[in-house]
Amino acid sequence: MAAVSQAPGGAQQQIALPEAFRPRTGTMESWNAAYVRVEDYLRAHRIHNRLHQSRLIQMVLERAARRHEENPALDPTTIAAEETEALMEAWFAEVLEEKGQPGDRVAVDGRVALLLCDGPERWPYAFLDEEHVPADFVQAMRTTHLNAGPDLAVSSMVPRPIDLGRITEAAGETLERFERWPILRALLLWMLFTAALAGIFYLTR
Amino acid sequence: MRIFITENMDTARLNRRRFLFFSAVFGLTSLATWFVADLYWRDTEGLTGLEIALLVLFVPLFAHISVGFCTAFVGFYVINRGGDSSRISASLPSDARPGLASTAVVMPIFNEDVSRVFEGIRVVFRSVQQTEGADYFDFFLLSDSNEPNQWIREEVAWAELCKQVGGFGKIFYRKRRQAINKKAGNVADFLRRWGKNYRYMVVLDADSIMTGEALVRLVSLMEANPSAGIIQTAPRIVRGESLYSRLQAFANRLYSPLFLAGLNYWQQHEGNYWGHNAILRVQPFMDHCALPDLPGNEPFGGRILSHDFVEAALMRKAGWAVWLAHDLEGSYEEGPPSLIESAKRDRRWCQGNLQHAWLLTARGFRPANRFHLLMGIMAYVSSPLWLLFLLLSTVEMVDKSAVGNRDVYGAADTTSLFGYTVAVPEALTLFSLTMLLLFLPKFVSVVVMLGRPAEVALYGGRGRLAASAIFETAGSMLLAPVNMFFNTKFVLFTLLGQGVAWVAQKRAADTDGTDWREAIITHGFQTVFGLFWGVSSLILIPAYFAWLSLALAGLVCSIPLSIFLSKVGFGRRARELGIFLTPEETSPPADLELLERNLAECYRHLPPLEPLRSDYGLMQAVLDPYINAMHVALLRQRRPSAVAREWFAKLQARLLREGPGRFTAKEKMALLLDPQSMMRLHRELWRLPSESLADWWRLAIRQYNVLAAAPTTALYR
Repeated sequence: MAAVSQAPGGAQQQIALPEAFRPRTGTMESWNAAYVRVEDYLRAHRIHNRLHQSRLIQMVLERAARRHEENPALDPTTIAAEETEALMEAWFAEVLEEKGQPGDRVAVDGRVALLLCDGPERWPYAFLDEEHVPADFVQAMRTTHLNAGPDLAVSSMVPRPIDLGRITEAAGETLERFERWPILRALLLWMLFTAALAGIFYLTR
Repeated sequence: MRIFITENMDTARLNRRRFLFFSAVFGLTSLATWFVADLYWRDTEGLTGLEIALLVLFVPLFAHISVGFCTAFVGFYVINRGGDSSRISASLPSDARPGLASTAVVMPIFNEDVSRVFEGIRVVFRSVQQTEGADYFDFFLLSDSNEPNQWIREEVAWAELCKQVGGFGKIFYRKRRQAINKKAGNVADFLRRWGKNYRYMVVLDADSIMTGEALVRLVSLMEANPSAGIIQTAPRIVRGESLYSRLQAFANRLYSPLFLAGLNYWQQHEGNYWGHNAILRVQPFMDHCALPDLPGNEPFGGRILSHDFVEAALMRKAGWAVWLAHDLEGSYEEGPPSLIESAKRDRRWCQGNLQHAWLLTARGFRPANRFHLLMGIMAYVSSPLWLLFLLLSTVEMVDKSAVGNRDVYGAADTTSLFGYTVAVPEALTLFSLTMLLLFLPKFVSVVVMLGRPAEVALYGGRGRLAASAIFETAGSMLLAPVNMFFNTKFVLFTLLGQGVAWVAQKRAADTDGTDWREAIITHGFQTVFGLFWGVSSLILIPAYFAWLSLALAGLVCSIPLSIFLSKVGFGRRARELGIFLTPEETSPPADLELLERNLAECYRHLPPLEPLRSDYGLMQAVLDPYINAMHVALLRQRRPSAVAREWFAKLQARLLREGPGRFTAKEKMALLLDPQSMMRLHRELWRLPSESLADWWRLAIRQYNVLAAAPTTALYR
């Protein structure tokens, strides 16, 4: 399908829609759901550039559709999510020069770097672009680090006993004995209560 | 300006000061005890058992209020002379710029308002950046928060703040897996990890603000005084909104200079540490201030809760000076917004201070530190003693009225003083003396302030200052018996083995304040007790009722009083009328103004949707790719056992299938602490088809992307 548009010079130009992509397997509903999931995931990455987002969604869904043809039992949403992850992990590994590392760790490092350098905001077309990644973007990604604490300088800080004095030490030992023997504690409490009663009785006579 | 060299402090002069101070306390107490003993003696020509008991109670109670009075009196003397030359801030000219040294500004936090914490740090950081000493300071947020939402919000806020102020490498965040030994343990954990990197450490509370200039000055003072181990500042109470917090802030601002100057006069280098807004010399602190457990278990034994007094005592024991920089500007904190919140804080402090009883006779502690510990204990123990004194006095009066003596220490009595018969109504004299001790310092503070026209204007002018002082005095008279009841309860609970849980302190005021239900539950007993006491006194001994009426009024009105004082609306109205104005309100420092502006912007943002709100942090950590990655990056990598892996796998599946509604806080924290689980949850959440996810997660995905615009402030999306 093609449309005709007026070019600025007055000449007429034929604009063609991108090459038609239609999944050969799966239902429309399931591919719509996959589309929404990929779109949501990209938006969660703060990719608010719709044009760039659309290109990425189509790329992911094309790859997912090819896989789905091989195994139609799989859910398109799951395949699309996996393809998105794979795309991101490969891209992060390339940009951060972390090839050979476990994929989930690469993704963690990549997202942290992307967050810290404000990648999607500052380079709105560059994220996941496999061909044109600006050098300053790559530089920013590689140089940002999440540093929650400086290098450890471990030292010892050991509690030292405080000499509480003889009377207090004795009181402490008594208290600990009372804590080991709840019956003693209850008896003491009753004795104190009785003494208080007796005291009040005597004082008010 | 004459420079005060702390190393050359004159011991004889200090001893003279202390002798005068404690002699004044002793003299006043002796005089009052004489009056009381004579009063009891006259009616029966001797002392009954009850009267002896009353006398025994009276002596420490009167001595306690005499200490406060004498401190203020000495403070007045010092201020009237133009200030004390022997003070730590006089050891360095104000324009002197000695070398600085590496300093860590640490803020231990526990489930605090994240916006307030991080906007506070932003203000302090910015203020330090504007000084020439910025390179010497690092900032550490030491979190012991145990609520999943709180933890994630802190991480997000930290990262965003660092991005916005260029704080990576200067502002650090540490979350402990196990909150061992609470705040003291948190600081000790920091010192064990990074203490060696710093010569000094400034400890801030979650509601503290210190200006960059104040921080630089503190470091300079430490550098200029190599024997100083701790310098404590006197923070001003600010940002009060409710009537209660504004009343406290006004009292703190107007009266504290007298008390602080007096305190410094006699304590000098043997001051106290109040736990925050202070600078500490790291190495000696690490060497001497790791606290052991006390004998027995909590609440009376076990871990030392109020660690600050003990740390000051240990520093002194090791020979390091502890100073109070009472005149250092730029140190602020916030007060509790209501009477009930204040009581909750007192509940914790009470337990901590009572524990200090173990340490009163500790070997090697300096007498001044023993006195600080004793005063801390008396701050709470005096309440049950006062209550007992008043109740026994009532019994004494009932006893007298029963035998037909209805004279309640009335007028026309005489006393014998050194052989002379003096015609004075002694009960009234004694009452007047007590009132004098309690209220004269306030009166003198007002008079001193009225003599400074420029400063008076900052309190709203002479009339408003006087009116505020009168209202504050009336308020404190009504609050005193309520606090007496609270503290009595806390002391008894502690003695009976009821420990206190570690809960976050509420610092900001609710617009609605305390509700009737909470007020009735909290103050109901006080009201009933006050009514019973009052009515029975009125029936049995009407003359004595008049003496009790002040204490009874506070108790009987405690419910409406508590509600009234907690209302933000009344606080604002009072401010419009110029009541309880402080210089920090009428002419706020730039840093506080900035904090207000930033917080106003933070609080403007809408909270998350109600169904998602209770687990929003967990939701973000699982769902948001950035927050998930950042959270995982901040976790320590672990290799759990096969059994643990299996348990985690079941939890993960359950969380996605059922949502977090039925998860315990412990289960949520377990997942959040496990990096493998967090990575897997993120992956699975985005992979699973909608029908395999809980409704909660479906709603979360749908709503989150509506909200997921670019961050508009440090803390909110």
